Amino acid sequence: MTLAEESERIVRARAAAPVRRPAPRTGGVVRRVVSRYWTIAVLLVGWQLWASLNGYNRIVVPQPGEVVADVVGNSGAYLPDLLATLGMSAAGLLTGMAAGVALAVAVWTSPLVSGMTTPIALIMRSVPVVAMIPVLARVFGYGWQTVLVITTIVSFFPAFVFVAARLRDAPRSTSDVFAVLGASRVTVLRRLLLPHAVPGLLVAFRLTAPSAVLAAMLAEYLMGGRGLGVLFAQSVSFYQPERAWGTALVATVVSVACFVGARAVERRGLARMT
Amino acid sequence: MSALLARVPRRTVLPAVAGIVLLVVAADAIGRLGLAGAAWPTVTDVVDYLTSPTAQTLLGRALAATGTAAAIGFVAGGLGALALALLGALLPAAGPGLDRLAAVVHAVPLIALAPLLVTTVGREGTSTVIAALAAGFAVFVAATSALASTARAGRDVFAVLGASRLSTVLRLQLPAGLPTIVDGLTLAAPAAVLGAVIGEWFGARRGLGVLLVSAMQNVQIPLLWSAALSAAALSLAAYVLLVALRGWVTRRFT
Amino acid sequence: MSQPAIALQSVVKEFPLRRGTAVRALDRFDLQIADGEFVAVLGPSGCGKSTVLRLVAGLDTPSEGTVTIEGARPADLVRGHRLGVAFQEHALLPWASARANVELPWKVAGRPVDTARVDELLELVGLTGFADARPRQLSGGMRQRVAIARALALTPDVLLLDEPFGALDAVTRRRMNLELARIWAEERITTLLVTHDVDEAVLLADRVVVMTGRPGRVRHTESIDFPRPRRTEVTRDPAFHEIVDRLTRLLDESDEPGHSDAAA
Ligand SMILES: Nc1ncnc2c1ncn2[C@@H]1O[C@H](COP(=O)(O)OP(=O)(O)OP(=O)(O)O)[C@@H](O)[C@H]1O
Ligand SMILES: [Mg+2]
Repeated sequence: MTLAEESERIVRARAAAPVRRPAPRTGGVVRRVVSRYWTIAVLLVGWQLWASLNGYNRIVVPQPGEVVADVVGNSGAYLPDLLATLGMSAAGLLTGMAAGVALAVAVWTSPLVSGMTTPIALIMRSVPVVAMIPVLARVFGYGWQTVLVITTIVSFFPAFVFVAARLRDAPRSTSDVFAVLGASRVTVLRRLLLPHAVPGLLVAFRLTAPSAVLAAMLAEYLMGGRGLGVLFAQSVSFYQPERAWGTALVATVVSVACFVGARAVERRGLARMT
Repeated sequence: MSALLARVPRRTVLPAVAGIVLLVVAADAIGRLGLAGAAWPTVTDVVDYLTSPTAQTLLGRALAATGTAAAIGFVAGGLGALALALLGALLPAAGPGLDRLAAVVHAVPLIALAPLLVTTVGREGTSTVIAALAAGFAVFVAATSALASTARAGRDVFAVLGASRLSTVLRLQLPAGLPTIVDGLTLAAPAAVLGAVIGEWFGARRGLGVLLVSAMQNVQIPLLWSAALSAAALSLAAYVLLVALRGWVTRRFT
Repeated sequence: MSQPAIALQSVVKEFPLRRGTAVRALDRFDLQIADGEFVAVLGPSGCGKSTVLRLVAGLDTPSEGTVTIEGARPADLVRGHRLGVAFQEHALLPWASARANVELPWKVAGRPVDTARVDELLELVGLTGFADARPRQLSGGMRQRVAIARALALTPDVLLLDEPFGALDAVTRRRMNLELARIWAEERITTLLVTHDVDEAVLLADRVVVMTGRPGRVRHTESIDFPRPRRTEVTRDPAFHEIVDRLTRLLDESDEPGHSDAAA
């Protein structure tokens, strides 16, 4: 197994979506909802019980109601930071995935480029990129540039690996048809390989979208500036527990929404391309 | 790394080595020419620092702390995830809910867990718990898919033999799914290291994450890079270890 | 016969295996196809039929001997976009509609799409109503018809078909054979068809070439003189069955030990 295959296998393994189980046969909608979301309900009830039974005061553990009230009542306080984080994540996703596709095409073009970049890609894979935020913060400065850099790096690797893999495994008979029709390499790339690589890009997108949001928030948390991470850091240091937990709640909802959205995009895209 | 390189055919070694040499030379050149500003040291700066005794005790202690948190998190998270996956296989009614929970817990940004963890398990425990969650998710995904993908025919044979659900899971699905589960473990090991480092950002007293943040704030450039390299090395070591384990399992069970 | 459209002269094709060994797929294989002739190549599985077709298509090069089309190398025809091909797998682009798939050869050649010809081809293969459907919305037989329309798109000098109906059920396959016979009667393109279905070969071809087991050589050549256009009545002609039986017997003998993989 070459290094490229090894790293590809790993990322592929990570791409496996949680299994879709067949829904229990008996019972109606209620049962289905209960069977899917009972764990979430248990979490919420547990939080409430834990907060009230221990008699924590609100500085230590605010109750779910108080947190939701702060988010809904003071949404103006959350919105600018939410938009800043989302903007940075989206920008990083775009540049990172574009760079990943570009390098994948470069690797496809030349075996030399491929041989030289593969170990670098493997090293990048093994480096805990998100843990490198402090280094990047020093190199690129405290500010939005660094947030963009980190979200870009996070988005880069999966796009590179999945697109590179798809560029290599176009169906043989279709490639033969292109060869017999006298297609140039550029035509093969444009009309066969790139469209064929779209599903790979979609998988990369599903994997990356929540990580990009998380990386953006961590970078903001460490460096300051704007964004949900900053809002969280500030509300912790100014003893605003509802705001801190509210930020956590908003971050969770955003992240889950990104995951669900990315998965929907992937499903629709796959249906279109295959 | 050597475990990986050993399997690489010779003709791909040359460009690979060239690529790595180029990377180091480029990193050094950027430092020497100051292309990336003062925060980018030369390779020799970092090597000098790494070889000094003070640095070695400092980094050694941090490595031990982070390594311990990651290891405990890996074992606890892995076992917990495996138990949950088995529960899902034994009680099909609970399965979808567990899947949702895993997806949600994974999507919850670590930063959102921080306030919860700091109040429940304290500043020191946070890093272990985040490591456990990160590792656990990787194992859970691998284990559910491994248990679910046992060939239909095999399960039908067990059903016809009148095997109980428990014995089907233990005697058929689990052994058959072992390679996939070990694949999940190879992903979980670096994930645990990353989780431990990030967990230390929320107020731990010791560890590579602490060094990273304090070196960033105090502009201690060689320390910053040394800590980063140590974190990367720890993650790589965890990964290589698990790849070796996977090799052994594959030889033994397939 | 004047200069043949396609000529394979004592072609040898070997595929390297591990450690210096090689499989000899074709051994001094000779075949000539006249301009406007339809030749079917029959043979047991693994005898090198697809190899012959790939050599003519320029997808592989012979180890020894020569392959020429109209006196030139296959690669030259490929460069002029003058070959059409269809395989057992339809090899359609899954993201493109039937129409877009038929338009592909023009786009590949960098020529403006001849919309009238595309319409005509879709009508020829009976898919006018399905121009906008994507491959997975079509049945197996319909996909194969799109693939054939695509192969015919640029009115190629040579049409190459490698078991184009191999993945279809027997009934659909027979229908597709009759349809191809009709289409071919209209276009009359020099055609090389590779198949292991004897009925298909006899129904469609002017000449059937039976190959030996691996390494493949020409074992027998049979001229088929039924008048065109050939319709389903041909298949009820006793002469048809006599030829089919004879060729089937030859094939069975080619498959016996000594000729086939069992010896290898
Ligand atoms: N690319 C290749 N590498 C190695 N061996 C090959 C290759 N292509 C074909 N062969 C070998 O050459 C022989 C002939 O193959 P070919 O595909 O031409 O057979 P075929 O007559 O088309 O068989 P079928 O009817 O099953 O399609 C086979 O033994 C096959 O194993
Ligand atoms: Mg074949």
